[in-house]
Amino acid sequence: MVIEDITLKIRKGDFFGIIGPNGGGKSTLLKAILGLIPVTSGKISIFGRSVHDARRLIGYVPQYAEFDKRFPISVWDVVLMGRRSVRGIHPFYSTEDKQQAIKALQTVQMDGFKKRHISELSGGQRQRVFIARALVSHPKILLLDEPTASVDKEMQKTIYDFLSELNKTMTIVLVTHDIGVLSSYVTRVSCLNRFIFTHDDDRVISKEMLEAAYHCPVDLIAHGVPHRVLDEHEKRSGNGKTKGNKR
Amino acid sequence: MSETLFSLFQMPFVQRMFLASVLASISCGIIGSFVVVKRIVFLSGGIAHTTFGGIGLAYYLQYAMGWIWLDPLIGALIFAVLTAFIMSTPFVKERLREDSTIGVLWVIGMALGVMFLNGVDRSVLIIQDPVSILFGNILLINLRDIMIMFTLVIVIVLLTFFLFKDLQILTFDEEFARITGINVSFLNLLMLLLVALTTVVLIKVVGVVLVIAMLTIPAAISGLFTHHLKHMMLLAVLIGVGTSVFGSILSLWFNLPPGSTIVLVMGLLFIIALILKPFVPSKEVSLVTST
Repeated sequence: MVIEDITLKIRKGDFFGIIGPNGGGKSTLLKAILGLIPVTSGKISIFGRSVHDARRLIGYVPQYAEFDKRFPISVWDVVLMGRRSVRGIHPFYSTEDKQQAIKALQTVQMDGFKKRHISELSGGQRQRVFIARALVSHPKILLLDEPTASVDKEMQKTIYDFLSELNKTMTIVLVTHDIGVLSSYVTRVSCLNRFIFTHDDDRVISKEMLEAAYHCPVDLIAHGVPHRVLDEHEKRSGNGKTKGNKR
Repeated sequence: MSETLFSLFQMPFVQRMFLASVLASISCGIIGSFVVVKRIVFLSGGIAHTTFGGIGLAYYLQYAMGWIWLDPLIGALIFAVLTAFIMSTPFVKERLREDSTIGVLWVIGMALGVMFLNGVDRSVLIIQDPVSILFGNILLINLRDIMIMFTLVIVIVLLTFFLFKDLQILTFDEEFARITGINVSFLNLLMLLLVALTTVVLIKVVGVVLVIAMLTIPAAISGLFTHHLKHMMLLAVLIGVGTSVFGSILSLWFNLPPGSTIVLVMGLLFIIALILKPFVPSKEVSLVTST
């Protein structure tokens, strides 16, 4: 997947939504930010650092569909994995690691499920476990790839409420192909379909952005509202600090 | 009956057989579990089969160069490690489809083995029967084999012990491993090297062709009933010891080919386990209480 000519600034404290059709390059963009795929031109800077140096500042929650549910591993072991970036090559997890893992599980309200096998969880529970794995290393930014893809409507709301809560202390960036679920939660939005369209200050998805991104009549997407303004949201004091800048 | 069994266990070759079973089971239980969950059974099969070339080369050099010190297992080790390196080179990984590479190395290894063995004049140098190289003969294991196996098992156990955390992350979620700062290509190479060492440990027990059975079946059975990687390994080791000792005794008793008997015992247990699985409560039978 090639994405070209992108300039994207994400500010500290944003709850940033990147929307776009499947195959539009959303995951590619996330993987580039994570340093999993190289950027052929331009650069990405995170808090002024290179992608490689900033890895520890990012918590990543991948698409949950990508896991082998038969893999013999418990919730507890999955969450502890998140401490690897802090712990390094050391063969064992420390008491500190374990305390942090319990804290992270409490944050996502999954501390009662420590010993469960990952196949014994519902989609929403599993998603929260992977969020806990991302949180356990105390990231400054949380990246989520389709966080509610295989979760029912009710659980979607629970997860977004929870992310909103987390957003008080950290920057959140999520990608999704489902505009509906973004609803009132995000503070800023970009549309990505090989090219990117961002509304900088107001929380607006314009007709032009959507048409350009989806190549289809806006009315089908925006439920008949051609110029859909996302619901009012508490105004944030984004201090304008640049997080990502990809060209 | 019990008396005859007891007298059997006093015989040195039976003791060696028992030791070899335990050593082989430790390595195949641990590494086999990784192989099964990481889905690299075919890749491991490729590494296993190329060792035939190494064994042939060792015999040929013993004959042609007079290098009697060159143990066939060392030849196998060299070929296995070489294959692991070839599989891991960026050139091979990026340019070729993995299963094609496996297929090519697999058959080249086997063909080289046949060529080298063909070049040995057996009236000059007595070599192990090719059939028992391919299909194993646990009853023919000598002390030197045991020493080599023991050394390799120590290396395997130590490396896995100290790198377990990272190997678990790698096998579960390679992308996350990369993000979290693990050198994924190095660790993948190390994984293949561990498979290579395990292969060499198993050759004497079940033979080149049947190595894949020991790498796969105990771990696959264990995986049906366990929910933790460590438990899976532990149970796989026990299953390995049980089936290989039982298979060896059967082969001794009824004069059957040992490697094949062991593999068939494992295969039978696998089928029984599959049938019994629905009747076993889904909560795992916990072998170790801690996580």
